[in-house]
Amino acid sequence: MVRILLRFNEELVPQPVTSQIILEHKVPIAILAAHVNAKGGEILVEVPDGVQDKIVKAFRQRGVTVTVPKLIEVDTEKCFSCGSCVALCPVEAISLDKDSTVKFDKEKCVGSPCSICVDACPARAIKSVKHTNGNSNQPSGK
Amino acid sequence: MSKQGKTRTVEEINEKIRKGDAQVLTAEEMKKLVESSGVGVAFKEVDVVTTGTFGAMCSSGAVVNLGHSDPPIKIEHAWINDVEVCHPGAAVDLFIGATNMSVKQPFEYGGGHVIQDLVAGKEVELKATAYGTDCYPRTQIKTSLTKDDLNQFYLLNFRNCYQRYNCAVNGSDEIIYTYMNKLLPRLRNATYSGAGELNPLMNDPDYETMGMGTRIFLGGAQGYIIGEGTQHSPKNQNGTLMVKGNAKKMSPEFLQGAAFTKYGTSLYVGLGVPIPILNEGLAKKTAIQDGEIFTDVVDYSVPRRDRPKLAQVSYKELKSGSITVGGKKIRVSSLSSLKMAKKVSTTLKSWIEQGEFFLTSPVERLPTDSVFKPMRQTQEIPFVVSVMHPAVTCTENEEIRAIAERIVTKSVNHIVVIDGGGKLRGIVTSWDITRAMAEGKKALADIETRNVITAKPDEPLEIASKRMEQHNISALPVIDIERKVLGIVTSEDVSKLLGRENAW
Repeated sequence: MVRILLRFNEELVPQPVTSQIILEHKVPIAILAAHVNAKGGEILVEVPDGVQDKIVKAFRQRGVTVTVPKLIEVDTEKCFSCGSCVALCPVEAISLDKDSTVKFDKEKCVGSPCSICVDACPARAIKSVKHTNGNSNQPSGK
Repeated sequence: MSKQGKTRTVEEINEKIRKGDAQVLTAEEMKKLVESSGVGVAFKEVDVVTTGTFGAMCSSGAVVNLGHSDPPIKIEHAWINDVEVCHPGAAVDLFIGATNMSVKQPFEYGGGHVIQDLVAGKEVELKATAYGTDCYPRTQIKTSLTKDDLNQFYLLNFRNCYQRYNCAVNGSDEIIYTYMNKLLPRLRNATYSGAGELNPLMNDPDYETMGMGTRIFLGGAQGYIIGEGTQHSPKNQNGTLMVKGNAKKMSPEFLQGAAFTKYGTSLYVGLGVPIPILNEGLAKKTAIQDGEIFTDVVDYSVPRRDRPKLAQVSYKELKSGSITVGGKKIRVSSLSSLKMAKKVSTTLKSWIEQGEFFLTSPVERLPTDSVFKPMRQTQEIPFVVSVMHPAVTCTENEEIRAIAERIVTKSVNHIVVIDGGGKLRGIVTSWDITRAMAEGKKALADIETRNVITAKPDEPLEIASKRMEQHNISALPVIDIERKVLGIVTSEDVSKLLGRENAW
């Protein structure tokens, strides 16, 4: 699965853009996070591998701004497993294993739209990874 | 059991260490043994219990001696990697404080990082200035140094190893950044610190075996307790240690520089104390478990010395990842590293087993009766409660016209919108009313501000005043924890009072 971030402006909000694309391309799109009001909004979605280019193009044709969000990367050399980040993560992508080592699950992480953990790391071991433009078949950070 | 079986001495234990047959358990292992076999067996079988903690310990630092330059300099101001270091004594002695921040990268790099870099063998840059004397004529110097170039490089921490610590939450509506790290609004997360049942002082709470001269694990090398730490408060289980050790022998794994956003820099210190099991009482004490160690959940959004305590929780609950406060489940995470605390205790255990580390008896035990007093203040500062006055209010179903009239008759600029229970709903200003008139709006709902910036009665007035400046507003409704409106404080009230106060 590949994550992409969709930005809607005021005019697009009332239109059923996402459902039209789902129907048209017969592609399941999972909505992971959404912040939308009358003035516009952002939706983080997950689409199957291999169809990313097609879907990104379809959203762009309808006027949606599409970016592949930055991903969060943990420098395990720097991390000393204090665990400060664990309770902050809204999607429980960070946990402590049996020996109290901090484990980071890239699959669960929603990436840069969240970033809540980044400035809470005393070791400065958590970074946002480089931005990509969403045109390539970018792996989801593995 | 023979009489001798009831006690053992440090000398006897050291003899066993020398022979390689001392029985050493980590605090974690000791708890399991006592649980399965009882205190009597544990005392009989175990000579030493190793403890450990690894947390941010701000009152840490290092003393360095640089040796003399040619011509010599009596340093007045000095910086290492752009971190100002203190020059407390003679010509070339410096103290690197963990919390001093880099001039170029404040909040990201500081004294703790300098200490870690030096310990790791990295080269650091020293800059110093001086006024110049007949005996020390030089007025400036710039050079690069590693730990090998230093004559002395001693870690000298005046407060380490807090026996236990508060659990922090944030009851306000905004994110706050504290020394307990990032706290989300409305109790959305909690943080705590300390190793709980692995903490050195918790395993010997009467300080039977600890004091000046106790040899310990410090930063990956052998160090010493040199007395009680600052703010040592034994009567309420808040003991602390002052420690010292040769930093040249330490390891960067157990001394790590840290950055707390919008708070500052610090140093994570690995510290472990071996507890000789001299009597059955100590075997029992070292069996203490997380479920028996309690701490307070404290609201750090209240900027006061005595912050509200919302609940009491055990370290068992804290380590489980969630606590319950007022019926609400809150996810909690640690600031200190349990993983590293365990590593400290297992490393210390292996040193003793391999005959590389011998125990010492303290020449003077830690005090058990000292009291931590608050600061004596000769001037009191004003709080919101001392200037706030009753708010002029309205409810949401009132007409704008009626509100406009009230603004005139009460001669105020702010009307606080409340619900039937007196709780805050919004705020309207005379400007909002004017605009409503101009734009022909009739409904209060169209003009009121719902996202209201507020104050609490026990906040220092200065902080409330800063909040008004930050948001470019001129009044704050004062509310209690249930959002009931208690009054209002305006920028006029502030300038009247603070203007007077500042005239000393």
